[in-house]
Amino acid sequence: MKFNKLEDGKYELDVTGYVCPHPQLYTLKCMDKLQKGMELDVLIDNPSSVESVTQACNGKGYEIVEKTNPKAGVTALKIQK
Amino acid sequence: MADAVTKYRHKIYAIGVLGFVAILSILYLLSAPVYVYIVAYMWFGFLYGILQQYGRFCFASAFRDLIMVKVPRMFVGIIIGLIMLSIVNSYIVSVYPDKYIIESIGFHGLLGGIIFGLGMVFAGGCATGSLYKTGEGNMISFVVLLSLAFSQAIFNATVFDWFKAHFITGKTLNDWGVTKLLFGGVGNPNAKYSFWQHLVGDTLINAVLVGLVLLIGVYIFVVRKPYLKRRTRQIAATAGATADGGTVKAGFKDELAGFWSMISASRRTSIAAILIGIVAGAQIFTLAWLQNRYNFTNFGQVLAGQPAVHQKLPNGKPVSAKAPSSWPKTHATYPDVSHNNTVFDPGYWYITTQEAMLGGWILRHADFSMANNSYFGQDNGLPNPWLSPALLLSVGLIFGAAFKSLTAREFKWKFPHSKAQWGYAVGGGTLMGIGARVGLGCNIGAFYGPAAFGNPSAWVFFTGLFIGAGLSAKYINYFANRMMASDDMDFDIKL
Repeated sequence: MKFNKLEDGKYELDVTGYVCPHPQLYTLKCMDKLQKGMELDVLIDNPSSVESVTQACNGKGYEIVEKTNPKAGVTALKIQK
Repeated sequence: MADAVTKYRHKIYAIGVLGFVAILSILYLLSAPVYVYIVAYMWFGFLYGILQQYGRFCFASAFRDLIMVKVPRMFVGIIIGLIMLSIVNSYIVSVYPDKYIIESIGFHGLLGGIIFGLGMVFAGGCATGSLYKTGEGNMISFVVLLSLAFSQAIFNATVFDWFKAHFITGKTLNDWGVTKLLFGGVGNPNAKYSFWQHLVGDTLINAVLVGLVLLIGVYIFVVRKPYLKRRTRQIAATAGATADGGTVKAGFKDELAGFWSMISASRRTSIAAILIGIVAGAQIFTLAWLQNRYNFTNFGQVLAGQPAVHQKLPNGKPVSAKAPSSWPKTHATYPDVSHNNTVFDPGYWYITTQEAMLGGWILRHADFSMANNSYFGQDNGLPNPWLSPALLLSVGLIFGAAFKSLTAREFKWKFPHSKAQWGYAVGGGTLMGIGARVGLGCNIGAFYGPAAFGNPSAWVFFTGLFIGAGLSAKYINYFANRMMASDDMDFDIKL
């Protein structure tokens, strides 16, 4: 799992290859590290985790700015805190 | 042309999966007409696979996400599904009273639930979840399934009879079904009840009432605070809401809106769970109908070539002494079938025991003594995997989930690539296997099915699941916090 800074206020997290509960757990822990307004790009290839992250973001008031499928089986989420 | 193939590749593979299961079905039917029974198990499994993959139906997720990331959608979904399943089951047992089975209540249920709960969170999926995730190409879940199969088989062949004698036999409350407690008949195996009596006891009290209490609990402890915070902020943002200088307070209407938002957030899981309830009901009716038609009460009799002459078919008619010509000309003996000419054939949505059958069969052929115990010797036998009806349900489930995930472009091969991933999968699967045998069932066999059939024992196992899942969720959370303890804004963690 790689968590990198892309530029000021923008980060990326790659959790592909991992299964529940690690993708949703580490995504939310990374969001905890960010400050309001910052963005996180997450790559997940575990379908169930995508929904858990989406629901957790709704609960916490984070916005899913973008959701795409860069390739089959992989979902990219852009989350804004 | 090449572009079209790339574009539709997943759909082509999905059709391939469907075609493979269809061809397998034809081969069974060509071997012997009565194998339509196995084919039926497989196609019901296929339907479960589609629905479970669609609804992400996983009990590990239900408990773990609730505890760990405060997401209640799966928990809510399984409770809503339980209510539907219970309505269907109440009707079924009023038509087929033999299907009304009351599980014993005892310490074994709590202990089994704790061990199973610990395991399913480490494994990343319950028994049901691991099957559908295997269909998504997740080979980590396949390792979980293999661990589940072998740990159960070894436990059954070594410790199970001792455990049963010391911790279950004579130490349980037996025949305590809610309907029986309400309308009389505890201790009477022939007691029969109407659909309405089952609906009150099994559905209204054991599923709806308990379910509602749990949902209200989840709302109060998990959903309420953040929801009302958002709600009051929204109201305050409305022009004039705080014009008089007062603060915005949420009322009962807002509480109801919050509760409904929690329910509606789990729409996908709820739809799947409701449909699973209907399919589970259809499975019981279809398999009972096939037993009537082909003259057997357990598929082991077909494999042994010996009708169970003193038994009654599900429709109440006596079993004919003559084996129909539709049966294969096989004469399986112990331990291919049990001493009682039976194999594991629940006629219902079962998930875990059939994997134990596979593990037992493999170990038997590796020259281990596997049948000298009640589980394999007296009850389930050790049939060839391709003639073990419930195992074909699991096979169908994996293919159904593969079909669905391919059509949704969600299929992706994933393999364990670190010691930790192997450890979580093998350790979690092994704990689930042991828990399932200690508790006499998995998340379906000891919880979901019995809960829908009005068994209070299900809620004992459920309590254990909650404790076990809570403990392993705490551990994983603690481990994650340690891994991320530094203040650095980047990391590269290999689990």
